[in-house]
Formats: sequence, structure tokens, C-alpha cells
Amino acid sequence: MASLTRRGLGILTFGAALAAGAAQAQPAWPIRTVSIIVPYSAGGATDVLARKVAEGLSAALGKTVVVDNRPGAGGTLGTALAANAKPDGYTLFLGQVSSHGIAPNLYTQLRYDPVKSFVPIVFIETIPNILAVNKDLPVNSVDELIAYAKAHPDALNFASSGTGASTHLSGEMFKALTGISMTHVPFHGSAQALVSVMGGQTQMIFDNMPSVYPYVTAGNLKALAVTTLKRSPQAPDVPTIAAATKSADLSRYDVSAWFGLYAPTNTPRPIVDRVNAAVNAMLKEPGFANFIVDNGGVPEGGTPEDLGRFGETELKKWKTVIEQAGVPKM
Amino acid sequence: MDVITNLAFGFEHALTWSNLLYCAIGCVIGTMIGLLPGLGPLATISLLLPLTYSIPVDGALIMLAGIYYGAQYGDSVSAITMKIPHASSIVACIDGYQMTLKGRTGLALFTAGVSSFIGGTVAIVVLAFLAPLLGQVAFLFGPADYFALMLLGFVCVSLVTTGSLLNGLAMCLLGVLLGQIGTDLESGTLRFTLGLTPLVDGVSVVSVALGCFGIAEICRNLDAREERSPFNGKIRLMPSWPEFKRIIPSALRGSVVGSLLGILPGGGPTIAQFAAYAIDKKVSKYRHEIGSGSIEGVAGQAAADEAAARTSFIPLMSIGIPENAVMALMMSAFIIKGIQPGPNMIAKHPDLFWGLVASMWIGNCFLLVLNVPLVRFWLSIFKIPYSVLFPSILFFCCVGTYSVNNNLDDVFITAAFGLLGYILMRLSLDPAPLMLGFILGPMLEENFRRAMLLGRGSFKVFVTQPISATLLGAIAILILVQFASAVVRMRSGGFSPADQAGSADRDASPAEMIKTSGG
Repeated sequence: MASLTRRGLGILTFGAALAAGAAQAQPAWPIRTVSIIVPYSAGGATDVLARKVAEGLSAALGKTVVVDNRPGAGGTLGTALAANAKPDGYTLFLGQVSSHGIAPNLYTQLRYDPVKSFVPIVFIETIPNILAVNKDLPVNSVDELIAYAKAHPDALNFASSGTGASTHLSGEMFKALTGISMTHVPFHGSAQALVSVMGGQTQMIFDNMPSVYPYVTAGNLKALAVTTLKRSPQAPDVPTIAAATKSADLSRYDVSAWFGLYAPTNTPRPIVDRVNAAVNAMLKEPGFANFIVDNGGVPEGGTPEDLGRFGETELKKWKTVIEQAGVPKM
Repeated sequence: MDVITNLAFGFEHALTWSNLLYCAIGCVIGTMIGLLPGLGPLATISLLLPLTYSIPVDGALIMLAGIYYGAQYGDSVSAITMKIPHASSIVACIDGYQMTLKGRTGLALFTAGVSSFIGGTVAIVVLAFLAPLLGQVAFLFGPADYFALMLLGFVCVSLVTTGSLLNGLAMCLLGVLLGQIGTDLESGTLRFTLGLTPLVDGVSVVSVALGCFGIAEICRNLDAREERSPFNGKIRLMPSWPEFKRIIPSALRGSVVGSLLGILPGGGPTIAQFAAYAIDKKVSKYRHEIGSGSIEGVAGQAAADEAAARTSFIPLMSIGIPENAVMALMMSAFIIKGIQPGPNMIAKHPDLFWGLVASMWIGNCFLLVLNVPLVRFWLSIFKIPYSVLFPSILFFCCVGTYSVNNNLDDVFITAAFGLLGYILMRLSLDPAPLMLGFILGPMLEENFRRAMLLGRGSFKVFVTQPISATLLGAIAILILVQFASAVVRMRSGGFSPADQAGSADRDASPAEMIKTSGG
């Protein structure tokens, strides 16, 4: 281990030395390693995306960009850490629906403000959730599901990847809009939750497209709808919740997981613009764009202000959802 | 034979020069990680993940897998020689370290190495023949069934305890309470966090294990008047034939238990080692010696640990479900390479699956060489004087704890558990049942509440599910048999406390112990 780490460092230093030569003509940023804070453990969806972004940014900026995993307290620990980091451009943050949409409305003691503590850099992607049910449940559409729930009160359980996750709140929102009764059963992470839906202990799940869709194509689960207002290019034959039902209430149903790059507030504007330009360029390259599309996502991009505006609508939306669904604050 | 053709196909992939090299690199790194106190495969794999971007996907998988199962191979070494465990070698601290205290380190290391080899081999056979089938097992287990399985684990507490049963139960309950620290899964309520942010996610098993065993042991060595040598650097590696014969049955039992528990999500090496140890303590011919440094106490757990590490690939490869944090990392390695793990993984990527299985055979041979004949070279580290060795071990413990979450607070938590471990040691209380309670407690609670949630508050769910009903029945029978045999023994007048005491005090001489257990 010791020798390998040393070799790893050797490679990094060598790479850095090469890059330093190339970057001399550029302004003084970056002169050392830039880190992207991910508030989750290595191995999750956020981490995988961050590593792809880091790979691309390393090439674009000519300096190594590393992923710094800071898991804890439902992602709020790492987010607070990023919010309070030095705004010198060497700390970036991969924000998502949880850190910049749900958590500020759900947790009472946050050590960051999603708007004041961060400057938005660039919107990366959105990923729809899919409403999937156990393959033996006798329903084939959202309308049939609602009818089934009304005919069999208290028979449905929906699994989630944890209390307060978007997979939980998607279900609560569905429940609040349709008025059906179903019980929330939280698990540690979506893998366990999916197993319970396939095993039939729970009946349904609202889960991120990439983790649930392989089971739909393999016939282990039935996909009833996607949770966004537009169909997903990955699953063109699955209708949207808004379109899959005659219920007018559900026409407002729009939930997705999304990711955007942020930096601590007061990070210099030229740095924000450089990273924004680099990521927008990456989103046009087939390699990175295909990676996003293959994982069920929709590439976004745009100006820092676009992400800022989107973040504000998300904050408002989740505030309403959490109030309507009566989810207790933590 | 399908399997033979598939394996031949797998060896075609595994035996290319580059893949052989990746397998060897993985095994060597894994062994070193296993040997170093405190460092685990999770941190290593997450550090090395970026280096695999430029490697073809089969090579990357073979290397990362090698690190994972290689680390399970070597992890008994620091537990046996220094009583510093990894999460999956906690049990090796009991009998393995007792063997070291008796000057039989070489035999203990040989036993652990050979048992890991046996465990690995059995698991590979399971993997090759049954993987597609066994993936489905995960779907059969509901919350009620997991609850019953965990309860069975608790019944095993009486078997893992050395010393008084009452103390063992008290330690186990303390472990359960420590496991309650953190955020409640259902309501999000904070429990026993004392308002401290570092405790919001609970305490990691690494902190508890390193603190209660490793740091406590170092403190004890420091406050002993005479320089007490945990291990003197000289070993006799090869066992005698009767000793060798004792390894086999335990190792085989451990392999089967490990292979089974490895398949279940949430099971894995950490629980498998306890289960194998408990079974040995119940059925082994030499059960009266277990706890005081017997071969069986090392063989079973080492085999189970290794077998479980390998069969835990089954849920990932056959249904795309990662069953522990290391498997989640493997999954992300796939996703980065553009492969979405799912139910058709084996059918869609046969080269990956069969290449992995074949590389495990090869890795198994590499590891046997690395861990048995070469182990004496690794152990030359003990020629370092204690004034240097102990601080370096503590340093590695800090690095190991920090690397789990990249969080400095975890290092302080580990230190606090070191203090607790030292106090327990001074009070002659055994931390092994504490670990068991700490690991099983939260899983028991979570599955109990989930089952009650699904059963809408009725206890009927525990008896209407076939798996849970069977397991609960087995627990009832186990307790009844224990109770009946105790009554019978009391009637015949030959009641001896040795049966529950198991091994008596750690400082009692072996001769005395044999006398007591002969009772």
C-alpha cells in the first residue's frame, strides 16, 4: 500500500509538472489541485458523476481536480463544509436536489444557506424518477394504481432509500395529491429498497431512473410512469405521471433528481465563468454527454444564473411538498 | 457441463498476461492492507478507483476484487499478532491472540492462511455453480426473516462469550445501546447524540473495534511493568500432522457458513466470522479449548470471513444489488466504465463474471503463497522496537479511522473507545460480545420495526412468514435444549460452571483450564 500510494503521488506530481508548463500563459488560477466536495460516500450516483466531472475538468483546467467525499448527516455535513470553505476557487461543490432543494426545508439546524452560502456555477443534469411496482401487482397504469389503492385501503407500501430522500418525498407528494393511503417503508439506500419491491414485501417505489430501469427492462418490475413533465429519452414508452392519469391534481406532478456545480459564496466571478465554460464544453462532447444519457439523465448546461433561478424554484417546490405532505421537520 | 465450458471461457480471460498482472497487483495490495492495522479495503479501493479509469474493465474488476478478498486473507494477521482487528477479523482477536500469548503465533498464522484458502475455494465453487440461482435468495428474505436471523445471532452471544455469561450479556447490551447512537431511520429523530454533530450518523464499527481491541491492548502493554512481548518475531510455521488435521473440519464448517451469509444483503464477512465461531464452539470436537487459543477458534472464522467476502459478489453480479459498501464501490466502477449492473449482468457480460470467477482461483493460489510461506517476511516489522512500533500502529489506526468518512472527528471517537476498551480490560470484561451487540443490534431493531410497519402493528408477521417462523422455531428449540441439558446436569449433581465459562480467565494457565473444562 505504502509503495503504491507513493507511486500514485509520483504520477500526480509528474502530471502537475507537465500541466504547470502549459498553464503559464493563463491567469493565476488554478496553481494547485482543485477539489470537488461530494457530501456522500464514494460509490453513490453523486460520487460517480463527480468523478466524471473531475476527469473532464482536470483536462480542461490543466490541473488535477479531485473528488473529496465528505459523507454524513444526510449530506448536510459535507454541504456545510463546502459552504464554509475558503472562496478561492480551490473548493467546488456538487450540489443536488437534496442539498439545494429538500434539506433546507427539512432540517431545522442547517449550518448553511442554500442561496446565501453558495454561488451557482453550472447546471449539469436532471434525472427523472420512475414509479415502479412489483410485477405481480395487478395494475398497469397510474389510474389503475389509484383505483387499486382505493379498493384495498391500507394494502400498499412504498419503499424509499431513506426518510427525507427524494424517493420518499416523491411518494408523499403522490399520496397528498391523490388522497390514497399507503405506508412509507424506509431502507438504507435504494438497493435494499428495490430488493424489497422485487421480493414483494413492499409494492412500489419512486426511484431514480438509472437504478430502477434495468429491472424494468428485465421484467422484474413494472414501470407505470416517469415523474417529470417530459418523457425520458431512455424510456420513451413510459408515460409521464401527469399524462398517465385523468386526475387533474397530478398534472402538476414534476419531480427529478438534479445536479449542479456550486462554489462557496464570494468565489471570484472569472473563476466561476471559467468552470462554467469548461463544463458547458464538456456537455457538448459526446463522451460526457453520452455518459449522462446512458445513465438516464438529461444534460442541462447554461449560465450560472440559470442554475441560480432553477435552484430557487426547487426550494419553493419542496417547501410546498413538505408542508402539504405533512412530513415532520428533522 | 455448462459450468466447465464457462470456466474455461473465464480462464481464457483471466489468464492473459495483463489480467494475471492485475490479479497479482490486487492480491499484493490487498494482503498489505490486511496486514496493516486499521486500514481496510473500503478506503483503499476508493483511493485506487481513479487509477482504474485507464485500465480495461475486466482488469479493473479483477484487481479491485483481488484487493477486497486479499485484504480478508491477511486481516487476521494483525489481529493474531497484536490484537488489532479489522471489522472482519474481530473474532481472530479472541483465540488467535491467545495463541500468540502462548507462543504459537506461527501455528495461528498458518491456520488462518490455510483456512482462508479453504474458505476461498469453497466459495468459488459456490460462485461458479450456483451464482445465478442464489442471487434470487435475496428476494426471499423479508424484514421479518432478517429479524429472526439477527435474533438467532443474539442467541449465539452465549457462545462467543469467554468468562461469565452474565458479563457477556451485559457487554452485549452495552453494544446494542452504542448501536442506537445516531439518526433513527424512520423518523429522522436524533438518538443519544448528546447534541454532537459527529454522532449524528452513529459510531462506525471501525472506531469501536480499533478502540476496544487495538488501542486498549497497546495501553495494556505500555502499563505492564515488564516489557510484555505480544510477539517476538520468531515463528514456527508448519504444524504437526495432528494439528493440521484439526484445521480441516472447522475450516469446512466456516466455509459453508460464510458462503451462505455472504449472499444475504447486510450479512457479509463481519457477521460470518461470529457465526462460524459460535458453531465451532457448539459442535467442534475441541470445543472446550475454544476461547483459550485453539486452532478451531482461528480456522472457522478465517474460512468464513474469506468465503463470505467472495460470495458477497453474488448479489452484485447476479441481480445488480451491492450488499455492502465495498460492493457499492465495485458497482460505481462498473457505472464509470459504462456498464449498468442489473439482473442480466451474467448473461450480458459473461466475460466479466466468468473472468472474475477464474481470477479468484488464480488469486487464491497467489494469496496462499503470500500468506503462508512469505508471512515471515511481512512479520519482520516486529523487529522494530516498541518505542517506534506502537506510535506507528496508533498512526495507522488514526489513518484507518479517518479514511472511512474523511472526518477527523472519527479519530477522536476512536480514541474515546480506546479509553472505554482499556477500562473494560481492567475490569476483565470481554469486548467481543459488545461488538456482536453493536453490529446486530441496529439491524435487529430496524428489521423488527420494518416488519411491524408492514404487518400494520401485528406480531403475526413473524410466524406467518415461513423463513422467519422456521428460524424462530430453531431458536426456541436451541434454548429449550440448553435449558434441559442444564437441568439434567444439575440433577445428576455434576453441574460445572465450566460449560458456560468456556475458557475461564485469560491469565489462567492452560493446564488449569483443561482441568476446569474437564469438570
